[in-house]
Amino acid sequence: MLRSTNPPQPLTHTRKRASAFTPGNIIHYLAAIMIVTVMGFPLIWMIYSSLKTNREIFANPFALPKNPQFSQFAEAWTEGNLAQFYLNSILVTALSVLLIISLSSLAAYAFARLEFRGRDALYYVFLIGLMLPPQVVVIPLFVLLRDFGMLNSYWALVLPYSGWSLSMSVYLLRSFFLTLPVELEDAAKIDGASVFERFFLVMLPLIRPALLTVMILNIVNLWNELMFALLFIQDDAKRTLPAGLLSFYGYHMVDYRLVFSALTMVTLPVLFLYFVFQRQVIAGLTVTSTER
Amino acid sequence: MPSPVKQLKQPARKAEQWQAYVFILPATILFALFVLLPLVASLYYGFTRWNGMSAPEFIGVANYVRAFKDSIHLWSYVHVFAYTLGTLVVEVGFGLLMAVLLNAQKPGFSVFRVLCFSPVVLSMVAAGLLWTFMYDLRFGLLNAFLRDAGLGQFAQAWLSNPRTALAAVTLVSGWKFAGFYMIIFLAALKRIPTNLLEAAMLDGANAVQRFFRITLPLLKETTLIATLLAITGGLSGFDLFFTMTNGQPFNATEVPATWIIKQAFDRGQFGYGVALTVIMMIVVGVISVAYLNLTRSKRVTQY
Repeated sequence: MLRSTNPPQPLTHTRKRASAFTPGNIIHYLAAIMIVTVMGFPLIWMIYSSLKTNREIFANPFALPKNPQFSQFAEAWTEGNLAQFYLNSILVTALSVLLIISLSSLAAYAFARLEFRGRDALYYVFLIGLMLPPQVVVIPLFVLLRDFGMLNSYWALVLPYSGWSLSMSVYLLRSFFLTLPVELEDAAKIDGASVFERFFLVMLPLIRPALLTVMILNIVNLWNELMFALLFIQDDAKRTLPAGLLSFYGYHMVDYRLVFSALTMVTLPVLFLYFVFQRQVIAGLTVTSTER
Repeated sequence: MPSPVKQLKQPARKAEQWQAYVFILPATILFALFVLLPLVASLYYGFTRWNGMSAPEFIGVANYVRAFKDSIHLWSYVHVFAYTLGTLVVEVGFGLLMAVLLNAQKPGFSVFRVLCFSPVVLSMVAAGLLWTFMYDLRFGLLNAFLRDAGLGQFAQAWLSNPRTALAAVTLVSGWKFAGFYMIIFLAALKRIPTNLLEAAMLDGANAVQRFFRITLPLLKETTLIATLLAITGGLSGFDLFFTMTNGQPFNATEVPATWIIKQAFDRGQFGYGVALTVIMMIVVGVISVAYLNLTRSKRVTQY
């Protein structure tokens, strides 16, 4: 990591507030707004297109809806069974994240602080999941889940999701545990605290921010996962949102206004949550690159 | 790693052994069952003829021989390498550009940065469907824009044209992830000590010189990490391809992941599909290890 020995000082020229309308400033804003437009306009277009009729969509793609068809949201919601998909996604994600957080914090603590035989070797085995994408086991995993009788159940997603998320979560949490001073635990040890008490009462509360970060990373990843969701759940009523949205698109391919509406109803809540928790979300999603 | 609590450790050693296993056992069982077991099973199934139902029949390296004669499979690697290279440019390159342009304390810029990151939180399916519409021949924004700009002759069905489909999918990946790399670069930019830039400014270096002589070299490590992430992400790409083209038109956007799924789940050739995933594992593994080794020695750690 890059480290500076000097505390950062503000550049003197940024403090000058004299003229906002310098040519440099105007060009800077124009460039910035152009970028934001390219990045943001597709989403805005999606939202207002979902309020247009099919005829309007074809007549002028850019135009705003003449009289917004809000009823299309209700239509997409019931027609697409979106409530069921939301429920499935929430359950699968919540169960997985619960499992990931509890198992990985336990394991990460052991890898960071406890001495046991084969520790380093086992830790390296856990890192395999960082090198390979989960897709490479999709076929044997499918057969395994079928033989366990788990296909088309939430477990068909929860267990593989949790297993494959352990690598990154253990890796991150271990590095967070390592940043905590050993003296804290030694003090608790001298007071006669068992290893379990040290973990639950001393260490776990201290890495709460890290737990939140790892949680957000996993929530976003699993909420959006497609390949396992597509192949391990073939019963439409059990599908998660990404796979459900695809099957909805399959049924209503040419009813564009309805697909736009469904798309909007699937993405708007996510975007809303992102804007509310932007700091935490950005920290959670970029932790994979900053903690390496 | 050296433990600074040597003197405290001795008496508790035995107890700590089994306690440690309590901590790691649940995670290890889950990991062994759903990560290691299928990985190891792959190595065996890859040597078999198997439809997923009946008992696998051992056929040696026949699947691998077939994989190297399967022209669509070979082309899928050409596509995925081109795609990965493209995403490197549009994700990492554009991400860096955005970071440099949006790294300012001016009013509105923090909102700009938050907006630019927003595609990152969406699912690939949502992004893929949205852009399938963006690229639509009749009502897509891209073609509407071209027509309005007087370039109507270039308007086309971007995803159905074998010459543009792959680039079109690549661009969507760029749109989705550029904000991610922007944030990484922004964090790195914040770590650059301002006195370096000030000193250069006093020496008469202009903004462009400061960027290429000071900022860019100091972003080297971040660029390496970003490149690695983009490469591993690109090589295993599936979601966007499945959502937008699923290999069409005429296998012009077939990538290893989509081809593997077709072999196993559409054609019931599980053994062959597994062999293809083993090849993919090796390719992804070798490239990321090679890349790490290549770059480790060149890391910039001080200035």
